[in-house]
This record gives sequence, C-alpha cells and structure tokens, in this order.
Amino acid sequence: MPESDTRRQTFEAEALPHLDTVYRVALRLAGDESRAEDLVQETMLRAFKSWHQYTRGTNARAWLLTILRHTFINQYRKAKRAAPEVDVHRIEPYTVFHEVQETDPEGAFFDRIVDDQVLRAIDTLPHEFRETLILSDVEGLAYAEIAEVTEVPVGTVKSRLFRARQALQRLLYDYAVEMGYIQRREP
Amino acid sequence: MTDEPRDIDCMEVLDRLYEYLDGELTPVRAAEVQRHLDVCAPCFRLSGFESAYVRFLEARTRAQRAPPALRKRILEQMLMEGSSPELL
Repeated sequence: MPESDTRRQTFEAEALPHLDTVYRVALRLAGDESRAEDLVQETMLRAFKSWHQYTRGTNARAWLLTILRHTFINQYRKAKRAAPEVDVHRIEPYTVFHEVQETDPEGAFFDRIVDDQVLRAIDTLPHEFRETLILSDVEGLAYAEIAEVTEVPVGTVKSRLFRARQALQRLLYDYAVEMGYIQRREP
Repeated sequence: MTDEPRDIDCMEVLDRLYEYLDGELTPVRAAEVQRHLDVCAPCFRLSGFESAYVRFLEARTRAQRAPPALRKRILEQMLMEGSSPELL
C-alpha cells in the first residue's frame, strides 16, 4: 500500500473523528462561522502534513487542539473580535447561589436560557477564560489535557475555570433577571 | 502521611467544589468533600446548584457539528495533499 494511502487511512481513523470538537472550539475562538471554517480547514491541513509527528494511539484530540490553538494565535488573533469582552476580574467570584437560594436553590432558571444565549455569553469572556471553559465544559477535557493544550500549569487551569464559570454564571443570571425568568433578590 | 481523610471546612469545600464535581480530586480529597457535604446542609445545597449549572452548560453547548461541506472540503484537501500525481 502506498505510504500516502496509509497516512490518509490513519488520519481518517484517528484525527477526523475529532472534527466536531475542532469545529466547536474554532467557532468559539474565531467568533463567526466563516472564520471558524477557514481555521478548521487550515488546522486539519497542518495536522495532516505533520501526521508523521503524531504518535499513534496517543491523545489525538489534544494534539489537534494544540495545532488549532497555534494556528489561531498565529493567524487570527490579530484581527479584532466583534464581541465585547467582559472583565472577569471585575466580577465578584461569588456564586449566584447566595442570591437564589431562597427562590430557586436548584437553579431551574438556567433551563429557560436557550443554547444561543449561552454561547453568546461565553463569547464575551476574555480569550484565556473562554478557551479554558470551552475545553472543559463544551468538550469535556480533563484539567491535565487543558493544561497541555493551553500550555499553562494545572493550577492555572483550575483558577481560570473557576473564574470563567463564576463570571458566566453571573452573566446568565443577569440575563435571566432581565428576561423575567427569575426575580432579583432585593438588597 | 497525608493519605488519611481529614475534616475540612466550608471554605475548603468551596475552593475544591468544581474539582470535586469534575472528578479531578484524588479519592481521599474527594472523600473529604463528600464527608463535609453529608453533614453540612448549606454546602450540600450549594453543591447541588453548581452541579446543575455545570450540567446545564454541557447540555446547552455541545449540539453544534462541523458542516458536511466543511468535512467534504477537508477530505478533498487530504486527497490533493496526499495522493501521487497520477491519481489526481
């Protein structure tokens, strides 16, 4: 069998199953569908060209996400994203629970918020927080995998994820209040 | 030496809660959180709320799939890249 056919077969078997993951992460990084598709195509081409550097049977998903991230940083990050970024440091890292524990302790108001609104809120998080949250909560990577992909220590992943989740929770709570899904607690 | 579960307070539970919910703690550290949750009603309720929140995030964000046209373009790209000239 020619070498190129083997390469294609192993790439199809080990890399392509992660295409949806690469696409979802690219969407949240790039901010719109057209740029995300370009980013995914470029990522998969680079991955295919470098396939000989991948060790069969290791973590292909993390390997692809690393290439995606580097491609994004090199080519796309310079272009300004349209979505405004929330300053996570200005958001108090206290759970919304304290405000809803009497009215909605099980967080039923979350269920009234639709997919699009959640994704739009994620898109307003600053890059490194957004990236950590999507790798964890959208794609289900373990902290160690996120640390590998984003090239930071596990402790940084932990603190970014904490702040990102709390900031997002606050954004979604404010949205739910605005929409009348839940009453804001009187101060 | 540190492998024996010890009693932890609400602040420590709060600090470890996401790691606990994400299955990132060692069995001993997870057992400490679990033991605290068993006896502390406010932390137990908070844990239920945060757990619902994380599950909600997962449920609301995983539906998108790569468009079929994109998948097709990538396969074509691989053929262009990987085949010998006479197969093109």
